[in-house]
Amino acid sequence: MILPTPEEKRQWEEEGYLVFENAIQGEDLKRLQNAFDHWADACKAEWLDRVEAGDAAATFYDIPNPLEKDPIFIDIIDYPSYYGALMDFTDHDLILLGPQVRTVAPWPVSYTGWHPDVGYDNPLHIKVQIYVNDVEPGSGEFGFVPGSHKPGSGPYTRPMRQESMTGHKTFPGKAGTAIMFNSCGWHVSMDNHSDTPRKSIILIYEKRTPGRIGPKQYASISEYCQTPERRKLFSLDG
Amino acid sequence: MPRIDAHLHVFTKASAEFPREISDVWPAEREEPVEKLLDEMEKHQIDQAVLVQMAGASIENHRYLLQCLKAYPNRFVGIGLVPEGHPNPVEHMAELTDNTGIIGFRFSTFGGPRDIFAKMDVREFAAYPIWKCAAERDYVLWLYPNAINAHLLPYLIEAFPQVRIVLNHLAVCPGAGKFSWDEFGRPQVQVTGYNLFMHTTYRLARFENVNVHLSGQYAFSKEEFPYKDLAGWHHGLLGGFGAKRLMWATDFPWILEEPGYGKLTTVIEELLPNLSEAELADIMGGNAKRILRFPDL
Repeated sequence: MILPTPEEKRQWEEEGYLVFENAIQGEDLKRLQNAFDHWADACKAEWLDRVEAGDAAATFYDIPNPLEKDPIFIDIIDYPSYYGALMDFTDHDLILLGPQVRTVAPWPVSYTGWHPDVGYDNPLHIKVQIYVNDVEPGSGEFGFVPGSHKPGSGPYTRPMRQESMTGHKTFPGKAGTAIMFNSCGWHVSMDNHSDTPRKSIILIYEKRTPGRIGPKQYASISEYCQTPERRKLFSLDG
Repeated sequence: MPRIDAHLHVFTKASAEFPREISDVWPAEREEPVEKLLDEMEKHQIDQAVLVQMAGASIENHRYLLQCLKAYPNRFVGIGLVPEGHPNPVEHMAELTDNTGIIGFRFSTFGGPRDIFAKMDVREFAAYPIWKCAAERDYVLWLYPNAINAHLLPYLIEAFPQVRIVLNHLAVCPGAGKFSWDEFGRPQVQVTGYNLFMHTTYRLARFENVNVHLSGQYAFSKEEFPYKDLAGWHHGLLGGFGAKRLMWATDFPWILEEPGYGKLTTVIEELLPNLSEAELADIMGGNAKRILRFPDL
């Protein structure tokens, strides 16, 4: 397990994010890209039908139940390059809430505005966004306001334009880059004015609280969770 | 400041003088005439209103609407319809707006790619000539997009930033097969618990020419008046569009029996209780007067 350096710990505490360049590379990255493209393509028609029926948003889609579709989507949950930091920041008491294997269409406006996901009273809530393709500036890259995860920061208000957010930083990156952030912090997907969809995976974690995730949630993948660490991560024993 | 009901319908019995389409909800003998509306407006201190055409899109189908606008030119403005697939929509719109009081037209489709990932050339959208005409002639576009059309809107809005746009009924985009009528004769639209519109139509707040009318709560809510489960939607729209681009409306006559016209005149105060007096006055009429250019009373 690769634990965070003192400098990484300081940045996490002070700024609320860390960037892991080349977090996933080589054969693992190829496996991830192939699985992503295969299943995104396979699931697209059904998603469009759901859009038409008013049951899904038109501006992005997630591969349903990705953990059941390819083991690579399980392997990235505890991937060594960032897993140690996740464990350290949660006092080695981490659970997975869920993955979002997400394709975001180019569109004149981003599909979401600046927002935090949870309040400061929530148990530590962490997301890791992994770029599956190269994400250039202006093509839906992640944006974050460093320090906005801290109680007493702000107040922040949502601006009309993404780029008008006070104090924000944007994170273009190569495929395989992982960006870890405290979900109390204000974040966004920047506008995507390119011709290229943004392909990324958003892994959602939290510091364990009793009963947060039931043992049935990930029972279908229990054969891939033979170690005590994985069983704990996926809340398989309650 | 006037109080303006920014979206409702009136119709009379189907006749040779006033031909219209009929349905189970508006059979030939049913009428919800403008005089009935004026009674409600009088009782509840509503000064003006937007009459939205229904029960047919042909020129002839608009006769009753045109008569109401002619009879009460200071009280009402009108929104017309264009028949789907009309061979010459520009001519149809011109005829209906020739000093009639009709200021714009209502649409739910735009004739572009179903798939947001497709290459978008707005000039190839079927609605492009209509929007171009609206830009040239200053029509208001009154939009209630089907869910599968919502993603097309920003391309048209970018191409025609001068067109005044009003998204109907809380900027909802109804899904196919999700529309029905309830026991009070009101439209019902089944929507998901998670508000999908914050990823589509709410995002159009960036465009300054886009406005939203706050109405139709009864159709989306799972609760009785005052539809508290939709307070979050109202706050989301207020946060995005601001108090200067929202307009209150009742959707008369569907609401006459339940909850009643009078109650709906208070729905904005119920759902947005922290508005200042000035903001409330804007939403209750000031914005409609400014954006739709209602005549002075």
